[in-house]
Amino acid sequence: MAIGYFFLSVGVVVALGLVTSWIDRKVTALVQARVGPPWYQPVADIVKLLGKETLVPENSRSMGFLLAPLLGFAGACAAAAVLIGNLIGGNGFVGDIIVLIYLMTIPAIALIIGACASGSPVSVVGATREMKMLLSYELPLLIVVVTALIRAGTGGAADFRIGSLIAFQQESGWLVWSVSGIIGFVVLVLTTQAKLGLVPFDAPEAEQELMGGVISEYSGPPLALFKLTKYMLLCMLPIFTGVLLLGGFSFTGWSILWSILKYVVLIVLIVLIRNTNPRLRIDQIMKLFWGPVTALAIAGLVLAAFGL
Amino acid sequence: MNEMLWPILIPAFAGLVVMILPAGLHKLRQAVALIAAVLTCVLAAMLFSKEGGPPYVLPWFQITQTFDFEIALRADALSRFIVLAANVFGVLVVLYSLSYMKGRERLREYYAYLMWTLAAANLALLADNLLLLLIGWEVLTVLLFLLITIGGGAAREGAGKTFVMIGASDCAMLLGIVFLWQIKDTLTLSSFSHETVDGGIMVIAYVLLLVGALTKAGAMPFHSWIPKAAEGAPVSVMAFLPAALDKLLGIYLLARISLFMFELSLGLRLALLIIGAATVILAVMAALVQHNLKKLLSFHAVSQVGYMVLGIGTGVPVGILGGLFHMLNHAVYKCCLFLCAGAVEKRAGTTEMEKLGGLARAMPLTFIGFLIASFAISGVPPFNGFVSKWLIYQGLLEVGGYTSAIFLVAALFGSALTLASFVKAIYSVFLGQRPPELANTRPAGFAMATPIAFLALICVLFGVFARVPIQYLIGPAVAESGAGEIRLAGLWEPGLATLLLLLSVAVGLVIYWLGSVGKARRTSIFVGGEVHDAEEIRVPATGFYETIRTAGPLEALYREAAEGAYDIYVLASRYGSNIVGMLRALHNGVLSSYLAFCVVGLLILMFVLLKI
Repeated sequence: MAIGYFFLSVGVVVALGLVTSWIDRKVTALVQARVGPPWYQPVADIVKLLGKETLVPENSRSMGFLLAPLLGFAGACAAAAVLIGNLIGGNGFVGDIIVLIYLMTIPAIALIIGACASGSPVSVVGATREMKMLLSYELPLLIVVVTALIRAGTGGAADFRIGSLIAFQQESGWLVWSVSGIIGFVVLVLTTQAKLGLVPFDAPEAEQELMGGVISEYSGPPLALFKLTKYMLLCMLPIFTGVLLLGGFSFTGWSILWSILKYVVLIVLIVLIRNTNPRLRIDQIMKLFWGPVTALAIAGLVLAAFGL
Repeated sequence: MNEMLWPILIPAFAGLVVMILPAGLHKLRQAVALIAAVLTCVLAAMLFSKEGGPPYVLPWFQITQTFDFEIALRADALSRFIVLAANVFGVLVVLYSLSYMKGRERLREYYAYLMWTLAAANLALLADNLLLLLIGWEVLTVLLFLLITIGGGAAREGAGKTFVMIGASDCAMLLGIVFLWQIKDTLTLSSFSHETVDGGIMVIAYVLLLVGALTKAGAMPFHSWIPKAAEGAPVSVMAFLPAALDKLLGIYLLARISLFMFELSLGLRLALLIIGAATVILAVMAALVQHNLKKLLSFHAVSQVGYMVLGIGTGVPVGILGGLFHMLNHAVYKCCLFLCAGAVEKRAGTTEMEKLGGLARAMPLTFIGFLIASFAISGVPPFNGFVSKWLIYQGLLEVGGYTSAIFLVAALFGSALTLASFVKAIYSVFLGQRPPELANTRPAGFAMATPIAFLALICVLFGVFARVPIQYLIGPAVAESGAGEIRLAGLWEPGLATLLLLLSVAVGLVIYWLGSVGKARRTSIFVGGEVHDAEEIRVPATGFYETIRTAGPLEALYREAAEGAYDIYVLASRYGSNIVGMLRALHNGVLSSYLAFCVVGLLILMFVLLKI
């Protein structure tokens, strides 16, 4: 039963992730006045990578180098099971949101370990940046999540499940409709952008200076796994935002359309930000997240404490 | 004889034998130590399996009519499981030392001290008399000092600092015990049961005992002896005491006073939470910028205490469960990490991260052990650290309210920082490029590898089958404290999650197989269009978090921390000598000023006495 839900959730997230990455490329193309790829392009990319040769750098720790993509993929799959399994199956457990946050950091950890094992200096530099990014965005993200949890908790949904968070919002209104909720939403959008490693927060990959950074030594199937993991995150993070502040998603009757609209709007927002901003340096990213963004998140927490 | 006496007497006696045996019989000495440790562990396990029998009381002496001193022992659920854990670590560390300490000096003392440490720890854990507990505690302080000095000249300063700090906390405990005797007229632990902490003197007594517990465990602001001791002490000593046994003891006392003896007021609970959260964040920030593996680990030994204090400070069953479970888990993975660091030091000759690198291939088992323990300490599911941290988060959430949000964020964010500093350690020691001088590094031998493998296995088992230790080891202790019932239904199911993770890895492997990864080709790395040799493109890990160290206000904080501005030991000596200087200035040798002091003193005395 649980395993059936697992494969279903992973399947949904992979499929949705591939579609989403196509939306991303299409919208980007439109912004840049290009035509953009056909809808099956992400699938074609993955299949093509699977057919390519795997290259392993000579002085790498090959075991860690090849196992890291598996680890990242596993983390993303488990996160999918917790998040989507909750939405379609309603089988959550107490405190599953915290588990979800942990699981969603595993892909980043895998990327770092893989890059460290690759033996390439550009990958290592990318890995340190990835780690510093993780530290930067995690602080405001956690503050926002905890604020939302406690707001729901004081409102009666005190078992901190994804399911009861959604139920709470359906009963007493979306959490975003308050000053602290709007602040939380802004912070969440920024951290999502960073978690996905998209411009302006793509310092770990930075094609022009690090030639792909963390993934620069990867090729063939391992690279395909990393790409797939990234697509899955691209699908899951907007859903997470939707669950946390925007009343969740439901799939009965007309609310399906409403859910799809929410999802697409969030995706387009991400893509537009990514296409209209320059890349920040890693120290600027750290200062931004630990400075103004964290201050904003704390302001949200304080306002929430006063019931605003 | 009572079964509680054996775990104390056997190691004490074994220590004597080890000390007496002549130098030539070194193999016999090791055998005696190992056998005694195993025997004590078996006895501790037997003690654990029995439901606590009646307390053991042996009247010893009496001073005046009121002060009875008796040797009183008692094994309740809390003591039993901690005694068991402590003795398991005893066996592992003795086994490890057989190989790690080979070729060092003062081995006769080393094994004797280890044995006596076990005896004293068992005494402190089983004591039902506060004075007896204190005696065990003091013996441990002295033994810890002696064990650190075995590290040689480099260890001297750390040993002194350790002795001064823990010794001072022991004095605080003694004072606290005197206060308690003053109030209650008894020193028997079990006669204190959820006393309300009201009124000045009760609070003072509690705080004094708390200082003793926190110093032993190494919570801020009484932490600075651990990093200093790590500089020179043998790694096996660090793995045994500050990483494992001192945590067990310190948190045992904290739990004993906070959950069993006293009923904490909201203010005190808040104070515990603040200490916990501050310890988590500040210590891990310090760990981020360390360049020596042993020092890095020692700062984590401080930081993790914060979680345990947080868990116990919540006062709700889930949180307490998490705090105690984290104590056990921490002892497991931190002991494992220190043992790995010791294996690296033994084989590569240094723990300076700059001089290490690429040891994963040379020492595969050590690498895997270190990796698992690092994931466990960073709270990556499904390892044991995640389960206990998750329970603590749940406890904090149950406390509710917006103040607990701050502690929760600190605890969650502390995990991310922990991970960051371990990424640096893993990269610089095991991944990265191997320096040419380490080309012939051998893997760790059997005696060093076995404890590492065992502890790493425990990290996995306690994570995946978390219900077993929760139900059989820690659950009874929490139930006995009267904190309330633990509801296990609906909690985190590590088994299922592990299954899912394994399934996902299997799916990934299928993708690999489809893409024929097996036929991978090895190529050189091109950087800037040229092929470089390994040494040329080595990236040292020392610069990993330079951005953090130099970021705005953090730079000043780090600089001040390096100068000891946040070290209570340095502060005490700095301002202490100022006060001494002032007093010295008063003694100027002029008769008339001494006479003036006498007159002033007399006036004050008269005023006080006449007023009363």
